[in-house]
Amino acid sequence: MSARPLVIAAVGVLSALLAGCARQASDGLVIGGAVALTGNAGLLGQDARTGLDIAQQFYGQQQPRLKLVIEDTGSDEASATQAFRRLINQQVVAILGPSLSQQGFAVMPMADRAGIPVVGISTTAPGIPEIGRFVARVASPVTVIAPRSLAKALERNPRIKRVAVFFAQDDVFCSSESSIFQKAIRAKGLELVSLQRTSVSDTDFHTPINNVLRSRPDLVVISALVSDGGNLVRQLRELGYSGPIVSGNGMNTPNIYPVCQKHCDGLLITQAYNPALNNRSNTTLLQQFRRGRDAEAVPPQVTAQAFTAYQVVHEALAKVEAGLPAGSSLSQLPPERLRQQLLSTLLDGRYQTPLGEIRFTPEGEVIQKDFSVARVRMNPDGRSGRFMLLP
Amino acid sequence: MQDATQLLLNGLSTGAVYGLFALGYTLVFSVLGVINFAHGAVFTLGAYFTYLLIGGAVGANGLLAGLQLPFALPFWLALPVAGLASAAVALVIERIAFRPLRERGADSLLALITSLGAGVVLVNLIQLLVGAESYAIPTGSLGGLPTAIQLLGAQVRTVQLLLLVVAAVLLVLLSLWIDGSRSGKALQAVAEDATTAQLLGIPSGRMIQIAFGLSGFLAGIAGGLVGLSVSIAGPYFGIGYGLKGLGVLVLGGLGSVPGAVLGGLIIGLAEACVPADLSGYRDVVAYGILFVVLLLRPQGLLGHVLPNKV
Repeated sequence: MSARPLVIAAVGVLSALLAGCARQASDGLVIGGAVALTGNAGLLGQDARTGLDIAQQFYGQQQPRLKLVIEDTGSDEASATQAFRRLINQQVVAILGPSLSQQGFAVMPMADRAGIPVVGISTTAPGIPEIGRFVARVASPVTVIAPRSLAKALERNPRIKRVAVFFAQDDVFCSSESSIFQKAIRAKGLELVSLQRTSVSDTDFHTPINNVLRSRPDLVVISALVSDGGNLVRQLRELGYSGPIVSGNGMNTPNIYPVCQKHCDGLLITQAYNPALNNRSNTTLLQQFRRGRDAEAVPPQVTAQAFTAYQVVHEALAKVEAGLPAGSSLSQLPPERLRQQLLSTLLDGRYQTPLGEIRFTPEGEVIQKDFSVARVRMNPDGRSGRFMLLP
Repeated sequence: MQDATQLLLNGLSTGAVYGLFALGYTLVFSVLGVINFAHGAVFTLGAYFTYLLIGGAVGANGLLAGLQLPFALPFWLALPVAGLASAAVALVIERIAFRPLRERGADSLLALITSLGAGVVLVNLIQLLVGAESYAIPTGSLGGLPTAIQLLGAQVRTVQLLLLVVAAVLLVLLSLWIDGSRSGKALQAVAEDATTAQLLGIPSGRMIQIAFGLSGFLAGIAGGLVGLSVSIAGPYFGIGYGLKGLGVLVLGGLGSVPGAVLGGLIIGLAEACVPADLSGYRDVVAYGILFVVLLLRPQGLLGHVLPNKV
């Protein structure tokens, strides 16, 4: 067989790909979404994508008009690096993401070096805003979030004395969250009776669970992601643990329902998002989210955070545009200047978002006032449920 | 005593999954001398088939969003049907990723790559069709059986025992078939030398198809059982088992059926014995054992040294 047709076909495919890339890069202002659509964190990323898509539908009709390009960061650092590289090459005005703090430490420095503002959606590990000048986040740090659910568990049952902790040691967020939980446990004078290290890729938790059950805890605290954490909860209940469970932010999504099913019932999780909040952004988010869903459906926290990340960038860009001389537009600004102005405007502003009023420190850390603790309440079918906010 | 029993049961049930997985690799390797990297994807498919057959609905994120079969089988029936469906997929993989290369006499390394490609395509196809979300086979699928039982003083989930029993039954049936039937012996002959077997009137191509079909069936059964045990954590959930199964295959001895089972049980038990505060390092123990065994016995525990053919 002659090699010529193959060569011609290869050249054709390459040309088409290059043409596609060139077309993507030439379309006006582009905002990049970098979320985990595949792998262990895929469930978290899908929630974030929903928030970004809703924000794009809403803000896409308003000036300045932005085009949203979403790249899949996978659930590992290498895939996230590829996704960020593609977005940087497309000269995006800002990047929203990534999904995991572990990935954030690997890829946010890339955006920082390129001078592109990057707003973390669900990256709550300590040290994220300190990565660089162009790095900010809308997800409150785990140091603020984690202790609240523990305090709520103690408030509901003051007799809790013995606490067992599980955490996924191969995820930087879970590790840091767990160390904060452990610190809070000791600070409250509780006894840490068992500490079990797991992995985000684990599916069988028999051995660590049996170790925990032997230590007879009054409370179990879990720092894990959706799949491993959901499985852990399910197996913990099936093997006989009936006490309260506090779980961390990695399991803060309705996507845990199909994993732990009826056993999700009773989980306590701190919420940075209150769906009952009455402001324009949250009303928009709720209305758009409920299209095609249950009329009472509530967006996951990550969906609200993703919407918020898009909103703050859009509002900051609108302010930058408002300050331009008449007749000029954002796309006429040199990209470096545009991004510098976006960053300084972003960090200066106050925003009424689905997360409530937020603002940023000069380092890019979010300052949020309102938090609550939710208890997962599963429906009798064992497949659906709600995050019920506790008083 | 209670602790030892608990460890043993935990290790055996984990090892049974690894063993089932490695058996599928072994069957294909024994006849083709190539590792089928698409095996993990077939395992994943088996879990999804089981989920759909018991009446599960596709979520909101794939092209098949909302799809639900017009019937719902009980788990006991859905599992073998899912195994058969997985076997059919394995046969398709053999047809498109292995046979064309074999017929052209291509290097076996190329089949390794095409099988990897087939696996990647399958996993991505699953994601495209049904999304990346988790699916769970309902916890009550085992009928009136309790979710956990006490056995010799140890607490064990019923599904883990089921995994162990199914793996043991399949191993016995497979061994009986390989050693006690004409077709099983024909498979051994093809594994020994496909060309000579062909000359002796054994349809090598057919035997290779049987190996792929059986391998797919085992993967499908394992996928369905693991899906019941720990839910289906997205299209990629077979990858971890695939890697561990590969290690088990090499540890037991490439192409050795009892070796695959022995390797699975050793790795499962070793993981179960890892101290609680080091449980996150289970993989280090598993692959450490593999490393040491290969240093001392490169052909694996029950493998044979292959003579160089001139």
